[in-house]
Amino acid sequence: MIEGRTILGSIGLAILVVFAIVAILAPHIAPYDPHQMYRPLEHPSSRHLLGTDNIGNDILSELIYGTRVSLFIAFVVSVISMIVGTSLGLIAGYFDKLGFLIMRVVDVFLTIPRLPLIIVIASFIRPSVWNLIAIFLIFGWLMTARIIRSEVLTLRRRYYIDATKMIGGSDCYILWRHILPNVVPLVVVQFIMEATHVILAESGLSFLGLGDPIARSWGMVLHDAFECPIIYVSDIWMWWMLPPGLCIVFTVLGLTFVGYALEETLDPKLKSQAYGREL
Amino acid sequence: MHQISKLTYYLVILFIVLSINFFLPRVMPGDPLSYLTDPGADIPARITEEKMEILLAYYGLDKPLSEQYINYMVGIIRGDLGWSIYYNAPVLEVILGRLKWTLLLVGTSTAIHVTLGILIGATSAWARGRKKDMGLLIFILSISSFPSFFLGILLVIFFGIKLDIFPISGAQTAFATYSSPFEEIFDILHHLVLPAATLVISHIGGTYLLMRNSMLGVLGEDYIMTARAKGLSERYILHRHALANALLPIVTMTAMTVGFMVTGTIFVETVFAYPGIGNLLYNTVLYRDYPLLQGIFLFITVAIVGANLIADMLYIRLDPRVKHE
Repeated sequence: MIEGRTILGSIGLAILVVFAIVAILAPHIAPYDPHQMYRPLEHPSSRHLLGTDNIGNDILSELIYGTRVSLFIAFVVSVISMIVGTSLGLIAGYFDKLGFLIMRVVDVFLTIPRLPLIIVIASFIRPSVWNLIAIFLIFGWLMTARIIRSEVLTLRRRYYIDATKMIGGSDCYILWRHILPNVVPLVVVQFIMEATHVILAESGLSFLGLGDPIARSWGMVLHDAFECPIIYVSDIWMWWMLPPGLCIVFTVLGLTFVGYALEETLDPKLKSQAYGREL
Repeated sequence: MHQISKLTYYLVILFIVLSINFFLPRVMPGDPLSYLTDPGADIPARITEEKMEILLAYYGLDKPLSEQYINYMVGIIRGDLGWSIYYNAPVLEVILGRLKWTLLLVGTSTAIHVTLGILIGATSAWARGRKKDMGLLIFILSISSFPSFFLGILLVIFFGIKLDIFPISGAQTAFATYSSPFEEIFDILHHLVLPAATLVISHIGGTYLLMRNSMLGVLGEDYIMTARAKGLSERYILHRHALANALLPIVTMTAMTVGFMVTGTIFVETVFAYPGIGNLLYNTVLYRDYPLLQGIFLFITVAIVGANLIADMLYIRLDPRVKHE
């Protein structure tokens, strides 16, 4: 059992590292500028390893730059959500009145179906990478805040917290030195879940044509392919649809494996969290 | 008491969603009609004077905001969701016309999904820690990593194009004349297979993991040990003691799953051009038909919030302990 999850975790981590390297080094490893136009709908050849799309962009280069877009959005959203969610979760768990207020907001927003609302907002504003990040952030912090709060609620009743209070430790000191370190495992697992969610939501939104039309993510490449009327007639789907789809699948798989391994290792209690997803 | 407060809670949520829906087009730069006349829009909508008047009357932009708000709310209660620009018909009418296909798709998928999730989850937990359990776990985690739209595309390619055994789009054969009702039913089911399979596969992970965890919890209980000590057969313990108790959380989960599936239909129906509400939403986004888009959003939200409410009520009936917590 222990071996199983270590192997899974390592595989997941390896996948993520590869994608991260591709994202960081995109300009150096992409054979062409993704906006440069060549002959459209060319089949794979030594010049264009994955052929070209309907407006003549090199698909491989699009995917390499797309890695950047997809991972960047997921990373920024998860980091900010993690910081905001953890802070609000700590406050909500430690101060009762404020906590009640924050949790009502969280409850309401968690009940509103996330993806339909995101689709509506995204169709009203002109989509760009930063707009997408802003939209995902509306919902990103909620689950983290709720989970951290419930953990803080039990942590603050421990004896060592009472002891710290008795020797004059301030609320800030207790939160920072005694409670925060104890919720770190939860925060890490939540970070991974959020990243998974954003990768899926962003590619879904882009697949519907609501992604950034300039900085095209994997989902956007898939959208272009799907909208191409002759996509199923010939074998184009093999190099135009499979690669972007598999990129999404492997990233999610990597995150899932790492998340699963961490969950079991850091805190077996976590297992009963919501596993539902919208995509 | 508990049930009443739950009901109030969901009403508050509904009110908030309605308000978001009202303010969203109004806080955007310009007014809600500016995108219609904006020549810089991706797809400039072609709009006649007559349609423009209907829209102006709907949004009532010449009136003060508070009056617009009250009119909007009263309209919603009366079932007036606005006027679709693209279909040139009342929004509610357009949505209701598509509803049956989505109900068929979500209903079928939920039934299959819950049954499979329970069976595989229980099997996995029963074999906990062994190869069978790990294998199932890795398999389910892996197939859950496929976004539904990509999974749908793969199924289209392999079963629709390569093997050519299932139709790849629509809910019925176009312009078909059926010699008997059975033929029609068969045609509809034939079209349903791939979209339903996509929804089931892409959502099964949640139920599977929940069932597995719930079952693992139950298997650790004392009464299972007692049952073993009494010398009951493994099969009997599994069916009569473990399964029944492990099923409880699945009830709540199922309602949540219905919600996720309704959202999932947006992608699945798009991939298969299945004529339900999800596909309608996709077209709406393409045509920038904002009143219809907002109507669908409201409709989906009410459906999902309603499903949650039902789940809460059911759970209280099934497990009286919840009431006293």
